[in-house]
Amino acid sequence: MTTLWPIALITFKEGIRNRAVYGITLVALLLFGATALVATMVPREVGKVAVDMALSTISFAGLLVVLFVGINLMAKDLDKRTIYTVLSRPISRSQYIVGKFLGMIMLITVTMGILSFLAISAIVMLKTIHGGFFTRFSWQAIILADCLTVLMLIVLSAVSFLFASFTSSSFITLILTIITYIIGQSLSGVKALLETPSHELGFTVSPVTMNMVKASYYLFPNLSLFDIKLQAAHDLPISSSFVIWTVVYGLVYIAISITLAALIFRKKEFP
Amino acid sequence: MITINGISKEFKEGITGKCVKALEGLDLEIKQGEVFGFLGPNGAGKSTTIKILMNLIFPNTGEAKIGGKDVRDPEARRIVGYLPESPYFYDYLTAEELLWFGGKTAGMDANNIRERSDMLIDKVDLQNARKRPLRTYSKGMVQRAGLAMALIHDPDVIILDEPMSGLDPIGRKMVGDLMVELKGQGKTVFFSSHILNDIERFSDRAGIIIGGRLKRVDTLQNLLSGGKDLEDVFMGEVALAQGGTAA
Repeated sequence: MTTLWPIALITFKEGIRNRAVYGITLVALLLFGATALVATMVPREVGKVAVDMALSTISFAGLLVVLFVGINLMAKDLDKRTIYTVLSRPISRSQYIVGKFLGMIMLITVTMGILSFLAISAIVMLKTIHGGFFTRFSWQAIILADCLTVLMLIVLSAVSFLFASFTSSSFITLILTIITYIIGQSLSGVKALLETPSHELGFTVSPVTMNMVKASYYLFPNLSLFDIKLQAAHDLPISSSFVIWTVVYGLVYIAISITLAALIFRKKEFP
Repeated sequence: MITINGISKEFKEGITGKCVKALEGLDLEIKQGEVFGFLGPNGAGKSTTIKILMNLIFPNTGEAKIGGKDVRDPEARRIVGYLPESPYFYDYLTAEELLWFGGKTAGMDANNIRERSDMLIDKVDLQNARKRPLRTYSKGMVQRAGLAMALIHDPDVIILDEPMSGLDPIGRKMVGDLMVELKGQGKTVFFSSHILNDIERFSDRAGIIIGGRLKRVDTLQNLLSGGKDLEDVFMGEVALAQGGTAA
């Protein structure tokens, strides 16, 4: 830990001071303002719309932090050769990866904490004004949805570390991470659709397509699992076993991604 | 203190994966307290050798040790301070934070880091910029901050890759004085340069590398015997390597 902490701390400081973080926070602030405006246009649904929009804004802004700040934290070390100085210290490459990732977790947690505070403030403000329309509403569900969004962003960040360990540029890492996000968000829906009986579907799915979708389903992270915004907005029941298994799934995916990244990184050369 | 035994390194280039030899059978030993200048033209293999010593790249054959430890062991770097060529650090960190990072990763305590940081920041003349983000630094200032970071843990072995590059005359004098001081402290210094004057001024011993092969290693006294200057010796070795005759 004595070796990981300095790496984590400088990674966090480098990330949190990045001007892009201020820009993303400002965009989120504007979107929270828009939430207040849009929600009041549908008075009877103001509670649901406010919660849904606030959580979507947090998720969107967090995604921007991972894609445009987080990826650079790792990839810039490689692009700009900062890694020469870091690896010249008595630290192993695995420690570098884990330390860097811990710094990334700190960055995601702190920025998401700030964004969540802004989101909760917007919801509290609307609830104070339109209290009568917040009938099906639960802070517990909102906070749970927020925490799962943080975990989803950490999973995505772990995958970006894996990509950065074998790609040669930050741009390729960014593209691969965006592709993973899109696939991860839509794959379970596609799989469910293709598993529908063909007489209901209206067409037959070839076994090759089905196998490819199944392989992708197990290979890519199922990010839609972490998305319970809808349940939070409508205060629908969320089982504790679902939450526990989702958290376990996320942690296992993170552990596998970071272990693989560290193994690949051990063999990587920096000419 | 530094031992290099039979190191060869090939790089694959382009789409065809054509192999290019960067180092061929390099043997070198640098003793404790010695200042060793590594001289060679661009692309001769100086930086490749240093990157192998820092475990940034891996040799195809041979082995390298620092302080008796294989360079693949991170512990070998505990006694090493390294300044890469044209270093680049974190944009939003300050020089103080950079030195804190260097000290912490080397296992130093907070008081020791503070004392050494103050002393080194004074020495490399960054007092007025110590709390400024590194992205506001000039190239020379970044180089000096990198030098301070390399020395923060008072290493026994200092490896400098083109330490004078990008420095103005004042910066060059500062680095030169620092190298003389390190020599006085009995540190082992291994530095690469293609500036003959720097090798001549600071080295006890020098090695001339051309095309990945170590052509000559000797004390400065022996290299410059017979009234030759280092330029004559170097150009003679280049001519020999190109199939001509020494001057």
